[in-house]
Amino acid sequence: MAVCIAVIAKENYPLYIRSVPTENELKFHYTVHTSLDVVDEKISAMGKALVDQRELYLGLLYPTEDYKMFRKLHNSYTDIMCNPFYNPGDRIHSRAFDSMVNSMMMQVC
Amino acid sequence: AMEVIWWGRERRKLSSRELFVLTYGALVAQLCKDYEKDEDVNTFLDRMGYGIGVRLIDDFLARSAVKKCRSYSETADMIAQVAFKMYLGVTPSVSCSNTAGNEFSLILDKNPLVDFVEELPAERASLCYCNLLCGVIRGALEMVHLAAEVTFLQDRLKGDAVTEIGITFLRKAEDRKHKRNK
Repeated sequence: MAVCIAVIAKENYPLYIRSVPTENELKFHYTVHTSLDVVDEKISAMGKALVDQRELYLGLLYPTEDYKMFRKLHNSYTDIMCNPFYNPGDRIHSRAFDSMVNSMMMQVC
Repeated sequence: AMEVIWWGRERRKLSSRELFVLTYGALVAQLCKDYEKDEDVNTFLDRMGYGIGVRLIDDFLARSAVKKCRSYSETADMIAQVAFKMYLGVTPSVSCSNTAGNEFSLILDKNPLVDFVEELPAERASLCYCNLLCGVIRGALEMVHLAAEVTFLQDRLKGDAVTEIGITFLRKAEDRKHKRNK
């Protein structure tokens, strides 16, 4: 279960960000921002090694969550991309995407 | 060898389905950029569809090898059960909507053209996203000497419960004269 899900454009701004309502939500946003550095590191490392460039899942920051969650997220993301009325770079406003994210977020009473 | 050819064709059709759907979406999106009014986009889509329909009918007749339809009802069934199945992989249900027997309604349960479109943009509320289909049907029918009006009566993308295409076969001038003389 996730506490925060974010989709970041290649220009490093969020297309979609949702977190479980808590007191210190800003902490999640900082974590997402910091994790982008890890993503950059991994991508530049991939360029040097002969790693399969098609492997989209770069790995976990912490070994807890599962790959399936990423797959679901990515599949929904590609569905958004296929919408002819969606312009790449727009914020993501989609009921289908919201309900998929809802199903993955931790339930907070 | 014949089976291999047709099997290969089927496989190719399946793998290019998404490209087709995305191409159609790109077409509609571009038309929306070119034309301010929804009505204009709808008209253009219908016109393009017509151009496709007058050509597609030959491909349809060649590949389906169907016999000539003897009634409007048979024709409507043919469109829904053979043509839609062949080109879009779906089979809308058909019903006759008037006693005169020339108005039909096709209800589309699934429509691959709108697979990736969740809903119409707010500024495009009157857009008939799939209006190309109406033109295709109209053009194809005209080539087999059947005049018809084809429009979307309901559209899930607009918030309606179902997506419904209405086909009204127009009586030929000779028919009307004949009936009057009776």
